[in-house]
Parts: sequence; C-alpha cells; structure tokens
Amino acid sequence: MKPFAWAGLLALAVVLVFMLSLRLGSVDLTTAQVFAALRGQGDVNVRQIVIELRAPRAAMAILVGGGLSLSGAVFQALLRNPLAEPYILGISGGAATGAVLALALGLTASLTWALPAAALAGALLAILLVLGVASSADHRVDVRVLLLAGVVVGAFFTAFMSFVLSISDARTVRSAVLWMMGSLASSDWSTVWMVTLYSLPAAIALMALARPLNLLAIGEETAGYLGTNVERVKRIAYVLASLLTAAGVAATGVIGFVGLIVPHGVRLSVGADYRVLLPLSFLAGAVFLTLADIVARTVLSPTEVPIGVVTAFVGVPLFLLLLRRSVGARSGSEIES
Amino acid sequence: MSMSSAESPALEATDLTVHYPNVPVPALDSVNMIVPKGAFYAVLGPNGSGKSTLLRALLGMVPHASGRARLSGQPISDWNRRALAREAGVVTQSESVAFPITVRELVAMGRYPHLGALQSERITDRAAITEAMRMCDVGDLAHRSLSTLSGGELQRARVARAFAQEPNILLLDEPTTSLDIRHEMEILELLRTSANGGMTIFLITHHLDLAARFADRLLLLDRGRVAAEGEPREVLLEATLKRVYGWPISISNDPATGVLHVTPLSATSHPSQDRAPTPGETRDQTDASSYKSR
Amino acid sequence: MWTGALTPWGGRGMRWSARWFVIGILAACDTFSGQQPPDGTEDTEASRSGYPVQLTDAAGTRHTFEEAPRRIVSLVPSATEALLAMAEADNLVGRTDYDRMPEIEGLPSVGGGLQPNLEILVSLDLDLVIRFAGESDLATAERLTDLAIPHFAVQPDGIEDVLTIIRDLGLIIGKEDAAAELLGEIGNALEGVSRRVAGLPEPRVAYLLGGDPPWVAGSGTYIDELISAAGGDNVFDDLGPLYASVSVEALLDRGLDLILVSEGLTPPTALGHLPSAELPPSVEIPGPRLGQAATDIARLLHPGAFEDGPG
Repeated sequence: MKPFAWAGLLALAVVLVFMLSLRLGSVDLTTAQVFAALRGQGDVNVRQIVIELRAPRAAMAILVGGGLSLSGAVFQALLRNPLAEPYILGISGGAATGAVLALALGLTASLTWALPAAALAGALLAILLVLGVASSADHRVDVRVLLLAGVVVGAFFTAFMSFVLSISDARTVRSAVLWMMGSLASSDWSTVWMVTLYSLPAAIALMALARPLNLLAIGEETAGYLGTNVERVKRIAYVLASLLTAAGVAATGVIGFVGLIVPHGVRLSVGADYRVLLPLSFLAGAVFLTLADIVARTVLSPTEVPIGVVTAFVGVPLFLLLLRRSVGARSGSEIES
Repeated sequence: MSMSSAESPALEATDLTVHYPNVPVPALDSVNMIVPKGAFYAVLGPNGSGKSTLLRALLGMVPHASGRARLSGQPISDWNRRALAREAGVVTQSESVAFPITVRELVAMGRYPHLGALQSERITDRAAITEAMRMCDVGDLAHRSLSTLSGGELQRARVARAFAQEPNILLLDEPTTSLDIRHEMEILELLRTSANGGMTIFLITHHLDLAARFADRLLLLDRGRVAAEGEPREVLLEATLKRVYGWPISISNDPATGVLHVTPLSATSHPSQDRAPTPGETRDQTDASSYKSR
Repeated sequence: MWTGALTPWGGRGMRWSARWFVIGILAACDTFSGQQPPDGTEDTEASRSGYPVQLTDAAGTRHTFEEAPRRIVSLVPSATEALLAMAEADNLVGRTDYDRMPEIEGLPSVGGGLQPNLEILVSLDLDLVIRFAGESDLATAERLTDLAIPHFAVQPDGIEDVLTIIRDLGLIIGKEDAAAELLGEIGNALEGVSRRVAGLPEPRVAYLLGGDPPWVAGSGTYIDELISAAGGDNVFDDLGPLYASVSVEALLDRGLDLILVSEGLTPPTALGHLPSAELPPSVEIPGPRLGQAATDIARLLHPGAFEDGPG
C-alpha cells in the first residue's frame, strides 16, 4: 500500500480510537451520551467524565504514544541498531530516580508538579551525562560510546533508585512502583497542554531530519559525502529525541515497548524511508497507546492495569505476528554470491 | 557553487601528509598530485599504500591531515558539505546499511544534496535517478531490498547513486571488486565515456591492466609516498612496479592498439621471490621486498 | 476521672506515646462532655446541633460542613472502620478493593485507596471523599478538587491519628455521641490494659512482617505504639525508617523475650528456640479496634496479668 494511503488510514484510526476512548471506560456510557457531553449538554457527571477525565487522557495517549514511537525510530537510526528504543540511553533510569527521590523526600506533599518536574530533571541529567561521556574533545559523538554510556548510566540510576526504595516506607514504594509501570490516569488538560508544548515542536523538527536520518543508516562516512553535517545531525537528533522521551516519561511514567515495536511494525509494512517512517510511526504509536489505555482501564475495572503491562502483552504477540509474515514474504528471494 | 575556473584542476594535493597518532609511519607522506579537469585519473598501489586515505584526505574526511587539498580550485576546508556533495560524488569501498531499503531508495539518496529538507523529488530528480540506474544496469532491481542483492549488484547500485548526484567529479574506491567481467567493463566504459564528456574521474583500483587501458593519468603510491605520476607509459615501468609491488611484472605494448598490457610473472621462474617477508627487512630493490599491510 | 491511672510504670517511666494517647482520650472526651443535646425535639437537624462544623484536616485545609454528608466514600481503611463503627454504613456509597467488611461488600468498588478510579467517583455523585493525607496523594487531591468532589484528608498512622479520625469524622457526620462512645470504649480498654501491666517488667519483643532477611517494625509505627501501650519494649525502636529488614543475627543479638509475627508467618528457624505469637491483621491497620488490639497484645506479653478474665 502506498505511504499516503497508510497515512490516511492511520489518521482516520486516530480519530476513531479517540472517540472510542471517550465511549469506553469504568462507567458505562452510550454514544448518545458522549456526543451530548461534547456539545455541553446532558448530565453534569457524564460531562465531567467525558471532558475532564477521558478526553485529556486520550489526548495524552496520542501525544505520548506518538512521541515515544517517533523517538524510538530516531534512536534506531542514530544508533544504527534495530533494538534501540527510547529508554536505552538511560532516560527512564534518570526519570525514575528523580520521581522516586521526590516521593521519598516527601516533596510531592507540597507541590503537585513536584513529581513530573523531578522526573524531568532526572531525565535531563541522564541525557547530559550520556552525551558528555560520548562526546570527544572535539565534540564528535561516537554512537557506540553513546550506546554503552547510556546503558551504564541507566544501570547506575536504577541501582541508586533501588537503594532509595529499600529504605523507604511501603506507601512510597508502592507509589514509586506504580509510577514506573506507567499510567495515564493523572492526565488533565493542563498537563496535556504542557506536554504538547514540549513535544510538538520537537516532533516536527525531528520529522524534518528524515533525509539525514536515512543517510545515517547508510553509514556516517557516506552520509558526509552526500552532504550531511553528520556531527550536527547526531547531536540534534539525540537531544530532540531524548527531550521528546523525557517529556512523555515525566508526564506518564515509563511506558515500555511502544518505542521499540511500533517503528519496527511500520518499517515492516512500508519500508525504511524515514520520510515516511517518522510520521507514520507517530500516528501508529498514537493509535496503539490509545487502544492500550482503553484496555488498561476497562479489563479489570475498577482497578487499572498498568499500561506498560498492556503494551507488552498486546504489543509483543502483534509484533511477532508481523515479523513472521514478513519473513515468510522474503523467503522466496535468494542471495547469489 | 564552487569557484572553479576552467583552468583550475579538479583535485589537487600539496604536501599532503596524514600522521595518525601512535602510528610511527605516516599513512601519507608529502603527497603532491594534480588531477586535471575532465581527466580519468587512476590511483594504484599495493595494499596499505595509502590510496583510500588519499581519497578521504582530499575530501577533508581525515582529521589528522596536514598540507593542502583543493577541490575545483577551492581549499577543501572552505567547501560547504552540501555544495561539495553536488560537485563531487564518492563511492567508498564498502558500506554497511543498517536497515533494509530498496535499490531505488538507495539511488535516490544521490539527489539529497539537491533537495531542501521539506522538498519532494521533482521530475528532474526522478529522471536523474532513473538514468543513473539504467547506466549501471540496476534498473530491474529498483524495488528489490538491498538485503536480497548480490555483492556485485549492491556495488552497481552504489555507483548509480553517485551518478545520480550528477557530479562534476567522481571519486571511486575499488568499485569493481565484486563485478563480473561484463559489469566491470560496463562500469569502466561508463566512466571513460563520462570522462570524455567532461566529468573528472578519480579511480582507485588494483587492476593495473584496466588502469593502463582506461586512464589518462596514473598515480602510483608506495607506503604513503608518490612512487610515480604521469601518463600510463611513464608510470608503468617494469623496474618501478617490481620495486613497489615486490613482484616481477612484465609490461608489453600491443602494436595494433597501442594499449599497454601488464602481466605479472609467475613465482616459479624467479625462485628468489618465494621467501616470506620478515618485519624490519631493508627495502632493497633487488630483493623480494616486503609489503606491510595495515 | 482517670488521673489515678497516670502512674509511672516499668523501670523506664512512661513512654511519650503512651502518655499522649491517654491525654488524647481525655481531650476527646472533654470535647463532647460540654455539649448537651436538646431534649425532645422532633427536628433531627436541630439534634445534630454541631452544624455548621468547621475543621482543619490532616493536610491543613480548613473545611466547613453545613450539614451531614449523605453520600460518602472512604479511601482510608481506618476511616472506613471508624465510620462503620459509628453506624454510618447507610451513607457509604462505595468502597475500595481492600474493604471486605460485610456491611459494605455489596457496594461498587472505586479501585485502590491510593489511586482511586476517578470516573467511578464522579459517577457516584459524592458529598464527601475521605482520602490519605500522605505525600503521594497530592495529585489525587488536586484532581478531586478539579472535579468538584469534596474531600477530607486524614492521617491514619498511629494511635493519636485514629483518635483524631474518630473525633473529626464524628463531628462531620453529626454523630458526636457515637464518636464519644467509641472513644470511651477505646479509652476504657487502654486504661484497663495500662492498669493491669503497670509496674510489670517490659518483655523485649520485635514484630516481624516476613521476608528474608525479615522486615521488622521500628518506632513510629502503629504496632510499636500498641506494644508500648501493652507494656512491652520494642527492641527495634532505634531503627531509622519505619520498617526495615534486619539480619537474623541482629535479632538474636538483641535478646528477645518474645517474637511477634504477622498472621500466617513462621519466625526464622534460627529463632525457633524463642517463644512466638501470631497477631491478627488488625494490628497493622490502625482503626477503632485498637483497644481490642492493645488488649490482645497485652495478654500475650503479660499473660499473668489477665488470669482473672478480660479487663
């Protein structure tokens, strides 16, 4: 199918899934009630549920699902590694450590935004640390060192955070663990606007880097010969994709698998041209996470399943299916020597 | 746009030296060479003589270089990357592609230096891509994934990409190693035709014979130094080649076509040649000389 | 009056926590002793003469209640128990997943107490939500405010807190009498315990929660206060955090007289030579049954003092 057809289909899917997200939840609502609420009519409780609870949540799922998929695709190009995903460079470790510290020190008692701010601060610290380690004296970034540094910094943060948890009380530990599994439950409109403010410019800027990212996948030397300022592209791609990830993690905790699976799925369906891969990854990620959130809040209602669990349970089999079909399609071609 | 005039050479190196840290021997040692515009210039030499380093240094890709390198009359450090990519196309020895893309997508990358970030391919770009694929005989492979290609097909696709750039100068580093006779000849004849049409060709090759046949000028490197430069019949002398390659080579001139033939002689006729080289051996012209591989 | 009960006990003098809760009980009873409900009025609203009620909750927010709330959800188990003990089950319209009391089991669940399901809370049309005042719940509080659901914060950590909860909730729901009665019961039970164990040497105990190495309760925990009230000595009252894991050697080193374990747990085999006793789950959750809990523990620590029947 041509890329434009895919884009149209996915955009439509985003709208449909958004509406579905308004309709389904712990409290049963009819479609009529949902539309009435959107028009500002009907029962005040229904309006509250639809407009103050479900709508911002769906919007957040779109932003974060799209952002994570987009940054996952970018990291895969940057690190030239199909196993790369947004958290591979220590961002989730840094964010989780910041969040745990905020909880353990009781900062969240006095400031509502203490938790996301601390998570963001932790993520930024991880980003700067990893970039610092991987940059040589003349500011060149070695992506292999980047990968190693990211893994090591992430491990350090995880160990530190485990230590803090080990001396914290039960309520702190439970709150921390729940946060780390990811949740869209705390999404309200002000958070949605903030995440939009951080994410959308970064997302657009990354999509404009599609051609240089295509070239990076060929190799840094060839990319240079084809006109790319390789060091600058690496740096910008790293910073923007990291910030996009950090914004998502600060708002919703660590939601895994989206950044790994969605870009792969899109690549298997439409190919590896980043001009197509990036926007389609965003759309597909938005659809995926919104659906996952619907499942997370309805399957065991009133309890919510952590969304990171749903993305793993749903995403992994889906991805394996996709992989099998693509391997089957390719088995016909031979390699001559 | 470059500031080259009709007179300035396409490529020029003055005292070009590359000294990697912690390596005692320089990779390039005071290399001086001039590639005239529109020439078919072939670079020869044993493994490790610095051919690839020379190409990269000419394009400003080697940070440890000293001396001067100029492209179309302008120092290489003054070139903007994108403008350079429109002026010169490069085919490196090998590439590893991280993700499977199609041949057409690969060749289309040759047009990137001509396109703005948000610009789509125009008709002229599509024409250049199609023509480049046709010239390198990969048109039928346009929608094949790179992972399904043979080594030779991939090499031709990469040459096509360089042609799609529509460059004035084409630098190639051993682009025919995986090609069968037909495709190798096709590429070389393509390069020759392009040179005749005004494109400057800078070709690194280890095929002495084909270099002799197709090139206008040769450069022979020996352990980072220029051993000889000039027209094929000036450079391809038996004594020079034997010294540089450490193997006896016979040069003959085909009276009918004037083409030089380069024929390596066999070991059995020269028993002194089958002693293995030892490190630190003195470089004596009459002995079998050692060659150090990098 | 109970001033006669304020005698120093054990060789160590009265622990500050023990002193406080006795004073708390006195204060709670004093609050209600001055209020005389009018006799013979038909108007039930006037008999709830406390309104409007003005209170500051555990998060420092001032509240004014014009009338008794009719639709309540409590996210805090201690508060839920207190409300049920004050016969408020009719006004509870929802419960958490952890509330399994028969009176409210049939009610719809709002999920966990820490991150309740907001949709269900909205749909229940609530007059009041009782929530935790702890750090992690500020976000919940803000969302409840945004959704215009009134909420009252409580701190359910120690004996003092339980008494405060009973007193405050009693005022809010207009059942000061029931609250006073409850507080009186607790006071009686605690006073009975303190009377029986006064002057007795305090056995050295520790409370184990499981895990390997085992987790123990330190000072500042509910169980620690209960142990003090029951005339015992928690050997781990010098622990930094509220709960921490300690090595079996440390346990042996401290010279325990008795090991207290949570229900269903067996002590580590290295401590098998020491006497141990299981405690029911009610000792971990602060609540109105604290009088009974203290009595039960005192009975384990000082069996001799209870031979003449319940106090």
